[in-house]
Amino acid sequence: MSYDTLEALDHDTREAIDIDRTRGDFTFPERNKFDAGRGLTSATVDYISNVKNDPDWVRAFRHKALQVFLEKPMPTNWATKDLENIDFDVIRYYLSDGEKPKRSWDEVPADVLETFERLGIPQQERAFLAGVEAQFDSEAAYSNVKEELSKQGVIFVNSAEGLKEHEEIFRPWFGKVIPTGDNKFSALNSAVFSGGSFIYIPKGLKLKQPLQAYFRINSENFGQFERTLIIADEGSEVMYMEGCTAPKFETATLHSAVVELVALKGAKIQYVTVQNWSSNVFNLVTKRGIAMEDAEVRWIDCNIGSRLTMKYPGVIMKGRRARGEVISIALANNGQHQDTGAKMIHAADDTTSNVVSKSISVGEGRSTYRGQVLIPKHLKGCKNNTECDALLINSKSRTDTYPAITVKGNRHATQHEASVSQVSEEMLFYMQQRGIDEGHAMSLAVNGFINDLVREFPMEYSVELKRLIDLEMEGSVG
Amino acid sequence: MILSTIPTWFAARQFSARERYESLPMPKRGDEMWRFSNLKQLAFDEGTASSATIDPLDLLARSAGPEKSAAKLVFHRDELIHSEANLPAGVICMPLAQAIIEHSGLIEAHFMKQETRLGSAKYAALHEASVRNGVFVFVPDGIEVEGTIEVHHWNSGTAGLFPHTLIVTGRHAKVCVVDHFASADEEAGVVIALNDLAAGEGSKLDYIALQELNELSRMIQINQTKVARDASTIGFTLNTGAAWARNESLSRLEGPGGRSDMLSVSLPDHQQEYDQRTFQHHVAPGATSDLLFKNVLYGHSRTIFSGLIFVDEGAHHTDAYQTCRNLLKTDTCEANSMPGLEINADQVKCSHGSTTSQISDDEIFYLRARGIDPANARRLIARGFCIEAIQRLNHPELESFIIDRLERKFSRIAVTS
Amino acid sequence: MSLQIINLHATLEDGTPILKGVNLEIPKGQVHAIMGPNGSGKSTLSKVIAGHESYVVTAGSVLQDGEELLEKSVDERSRDGIFLAFQYPSEVPGVSNANFIRAALQARLPKGEEIDAVAYYKSLYEKMDLLEMDRKFTARAVNEGFSGGEKKRNEILQMMMLDPQYGILDETDSGLDIDALKIVAKGVNAMRSPDRGLLLITHYQRLLDYIKPDVVHVMAEGKIVRSGGAELALELEENGYEFLKEPALA
Repeated sequence: MSYDTLEALDHDTREAIDIDRTRGDFTFPERNKFDAGRGLTSATVDYISNVKNDPDWVRAFRHKALQVFLEKPMPTNWATKDLENIDFDVIRYYLSDGEKPKRSWDEVPADVLETFERLGIPQQERAFLAGVEAQFDSEAAYSNVKEELSKQGVIFVNSAEGLKEHEEIFRPWFGKVIPTGDNKFSALNSAVFSGGSFIYIPKGLKLKQPLQAYFRINSENFGQFERTLIIADEGSEVMYMEGCTAPKFETATLHSAVVELVALKGAKIQYVTVQNWSSNVFNLVTKRGIAMEDAEVRWIDCNIGSRLTMKYPGVIMKGRRARGEVISIALANNGQHQDTGAKMIHAADDTTSNVVSKSISVGEGRSTYRGQVLIPKHLKGCKNNTECDALLINSKSRTDTYPAITVKGNRHATQHEASVSQVSEEMLFYMQQRGIDEGHAMSLAVNGFINDLVREFPMEYSVELKRLIDLEMEGSVG
Repeated sequence: MILSTIPTWFAARQFSARERYESLPMPKRGDEMWRFSNLKQLAFDEGTASSATIDPLDLLARSAGPEKSAAKLVFHRDELIHSEANLPAGVICMPLAQAIIEHSGLIEAHFMKQETRLGSAKYAALHEASVRNGVFVFVPDGIEVEGTIEVHHWNSGTAGLFPHTLIVTGRHAKVCVVDHFASADEEAGVVIALNDLAAGEGSKLDYIALQELNELSRMIQINQTKVARDASTIGFTLNTGAAWARNESLSRLEGPGGRSDMLSVSLPDHQQEYDQRTFQHHVAPGATSDLLFKNVLYGHSRTIFSGLIFVDEGAHHTDAYQTCRNLLKTDTCEANSMPGLEINADQVKCSHGSTTSQISDDEIFYLRARGIDPANARRLIARGFCIEAIQRLNHPELESFIIDRLERKFSRIAVTS
Repeated sequence: MSLQIINLHATLEDGTPILKGVNLEIPKGQVHAIMGPNGSGKSTLSKVIAGHESYVVTAGSVLQDGEELLEKSVDERSRDGIFLAFQYPSEVPGVSNANFIRAALQARLPKGEEIDAVAYYKSLYEKMDLLEMDRKFTARAVNEGFSGGEKKRNEILQMMMLDPQYGILDETDSGLDIDALKIVAKGVNAMRSPDRGLLLITHYQRLLDYIKPDVVHVMAEGKIVRSGGAELALELEENGYEFLKEPALA
């Protein structure tokens, strides 16, 4: 038996293992008032700062970051050589129509509105979201939060507005969870960032509905560098969901975000990502949260799209009894490399972290898990549990696992388990003997593999996932 | 080499290895193969002979082994001080320096034929350039050696020692070799040892390295094992000595039905550091590798385990397992684990697991409730923790010998820990 | 109407012959048993009928009510009414029993038609009750973490739900204690029908105390070497397979 080509699999199997990206595969003509041009120099940084009317400290921050970016080597000593195919000189670092984000969809330009309508964003907002930010290339086209929430002090704006209007809240944390020099791409983002969400949840407020951001790339050779900072004040709770699409261009596109989460004492932040970039996007993202005493940060991550994703969400457990969690599903299809993982830094007593990762490699797809767990000296009562399971669908697919666990001291417990399995021929024979054809049998097996994790994902996630699958169905009949 | 009659091929190899050693860069921060490593330990200087007087008879008396040995060779800094053997006809077991002359062809066919891919290519080159002696064991087709071949490598002074062990088994042959590394004095020795194991079809080759150098010494030990069709090998390392020891173990599964068991027990105390890197390389389909490393850490000690299961394209139906378990006994020790998988084939069963834990108060309480004092209770639990790896040797005499070496270390570790 | 096996020869992929001319006919309404020592080819016969790809049919045919089935794929054979209860049922992690059986039933419906969930569960629970299976079973993943007895019961449950024309039970009695064996036998007996033929493959006579066969065959060296009534099984139990070594019968 062989599954050498994905074409050999039937519709249901493909549905089970892949999600349609054709729905996002459309583009409108560019009509950018502001275009920083191609390539990255200090003039580019000044251009962005001028357009955005940055305060001086932000401009200085960008210039410093550019130096760090230029000095840092590519991490190809451990990461894929495919990174060398990114041509920083042809990328366009800033594109916008110069409009401020609108509070009402009625004010959003028609083509942008149509884009987001086709992606279902306004409909979802009405159905179950507390607030939405929709970013089109470099800037948010729409940003709104339910009125009663803003009355209660919830801030949900784009990054530029956050830095200017709410400097006293955001500046103390900005660039603190992820320093500029964390890696080459966090430095790049720090130099040219634009868009992304700034969120503040006041003390004790528990949002019942999630906030959502949607990132859309419309222009070819464009680099999207949004910057998100979420601060959950003491005892508050928030769930944030992000989705993304881009049309399939001839040339590669770069998405390099920085996301910082701050969960103050007793707060809880859940960050849900459904990454569905088209298969020519380099998705190189740095995401990290800090959890203070009794706080919790959960990353719930689903990577389906992109050419190369490198993303290792992390949690620094800074206060006693803080908790960190990463739950992720990755699917690597032909031509894709999902290089994902988790970073758990225990920095206080009695902190607990949990990582559950499942990857599926199909065709010539490659999935990689990299993990880091650090329990430094003089702590006690820290626990980590890591499970990573990989499923290979055929003989050309590949999977790698590279965790690193450092434990200092004798008052902790860590556990790491990883496995690699296939849909075995005997299992398929068994299912086929019950009358289920090969494609359906494969589909059942793949669903079974991720089943227990899907259950871990929040309701809103399954709504999003279901919507994507529905698109696939629609696409297949239309 | 000591003798002037050494074959030209060997002299040439040593010459080019010296050049390679000098041209290869020093490992540096950021090298994945040296992640978490203490690179300061790699500064080796010329060194001098021991200032102590070494009595060969004393070393001989201290060269203990398992009860039944089929052969016993004792070296002090490459010099053979004792040899005895009771081996079946056809088996070759002699100092490497002698074998290079008497069995030049056989040595040339097997000597350092595998690439070093775990970071120490530079030090493998230094070993190749500097090796002066060691052991060569050859077991022809169908011959089974009962009992163990026991080799003692005594070191002294601070000059480098480069012992080499080359073991080759023919079809359906069987042999078990124990290499024992120890210090004759209390000086900061440097030992860079390499062992080449080539297990022929259907053969059984067991290799045990016992590292009991003094706690000032440094050691690099490189193990390279080739496993042919239906052959079965065991590589076992015990680390109780040295200030710093780096073990690189590579098993290459070259034929279907082959099996490699990679085992280790390490008991660092004080400032001791053990840096272990392993590679389970599945070249052929249908082979099995199973790794189990156990570390019990005391004092301010530190361990690094970095293991990789690598399944080549086409090596289907591979079974590969890797487990590293750390038991941390103090608040000042540190365990690093990097268990890795790279899978390029299908119908494979691969898994790895790594745990770090401490002895729970409940366990101690249970033993105390049976009248055992806390110090002994901890020691019993630690001993029990290690035994799983030792029992995989499936060789009762050897097991009890190794447990005895372990007990010696336990008794040196402060009872308070 | 019968399942007819005519001069069936099959080898492993490497050419090693396993079946060396099997002839057998199981009419609807009858229960046949095949007994024989280990390695006689009994299990291979069941897998070849089901269409396992590890075996190559080199000669002969298998006719289902006169129609050749060897040309069909594994799943087609199943949908056309051939059921194999596996000696070692596979685990299907993460897929619940209820969803699995439902998917198998759904595969039998014309496109666009959906299974009625209420009727499905009613029928499933009825059969589970007969097999004394706990309701929790529906939510458990197929065979994952099942005891030997649970796995075999699950095989019978699937057979009852899929209602095949011909059922082949490969060593269904192995790994069962006496209580579990009785329950499994109860399920199989409930499946006896004038519209169905059953073939039991077993090493021991024990199962046949509870499921009385109409015909017993003895298989050895890839062939049926003896056939007879139910009493043949008793005779084998008493004398073992020693007689196979007598040259006259080999």
